[in-house]
Amino acid sequence: MTSKITPLPPVRLRCSEMELCGWLGQASPGDVLQYHRGFILVDRDPIHERLPKKDREELARLSARAHWAAERGFAHLLQRRHGECDYSYLIIARPRPKAVAATILATLDQEAA
Amino acid sequence: MALQLSRPDLQLLLSEAHCAAWRLVRRMRLPRHQLEDVRQDLLLDLLERLPAYDTRRGTLGAFAGKILTHKAARLAKSIWRERLLLGGEPVSLDESVAGFARVELIPEEQGLAAFFCQNTDAFARIERRLDLVSALGALDNDDLRLCAELYHATADRLAARGRAPRSSLYRRLKRIRLELMAAGLAAA
Repeated sequence: MTSKITPLPPVRLRCSEMELCGWLGQASPGDVLQYHRGFILVDRDPIHERLPKKDREELARLSARAHWAAERGFAHLLQRRHGECDYSYLIIARPRPKAVAATILATLDQEAA
Repeated sequence: MALQLSRPDLQLLLSEAHCAAWRLVRRMRLPRHQLEDVRQDLLLDLLERLPAYDTRRGTLGAFAGKILTHKAARLAKSIWRERLLLGGEPVSLDESVAGFARVELIPEEQGLAAFFCQNTDAFARIERRLDLVSALGALDNDDLRLCAELYHATADRLAARGRAPRSSLYRRLKRIRLELMAAGLAAA
């Protein structure tokens, strides 16, 4: 049985939630952004303390926002594996959905009624 | 030796600072709501210089008066400089003018977008509306309802009516702004 512990590569916060939203807003279809490098599940975990508390919270918001973008159809999410607990988390902009579910005018009409 | 302030001394310093702030606000014709800020600035400067007070040279009231006069003069100078730089007296956009907030009376051609050389013609307005309609599709129904309510009232007024706590309304607004930004709606 091996007793060697594989050291995890150093990690840092590369992108904030606001930067991700700003990028999404102006990205053309096919544009790619690496919003994190590391292993999000461990990097967000307070037990491992791979990031300072503030960065961990920002990373949690960032990954939630990336999932939100994927669910709304704004982007695809991909991962590229480099090694043990070392992934590149990529977000690829998609063409904007044409259908609009509701408009502010319809909601204002409902509120007035 | 550190100066020990008694309760009457503290009352004296506070009242001198208040009078000096009032004089400055009246002399410079500043808005009433700035009185608190001016008073804090004056008091802070006075408290920083308090260690220099020497009881043998005069009373605490005279010392405070002198310090506050000098600080008020410096504040007045910086206010004049700011007015010269801006070409007039800054006004609050929330100030009520004939029943409307001042911000509602500013036409598009004089707004912030025009100041930063953004396009403000009719085509730009139509494109902005289309972008807005498209971006609003990214919000869920609860957020759309909140946006509709904010069309008629500010977040503070909604909180005062019991719609939701003020802090949670502002948190939701922050989230809505990010979602609109992600949907491609540029900030005005």
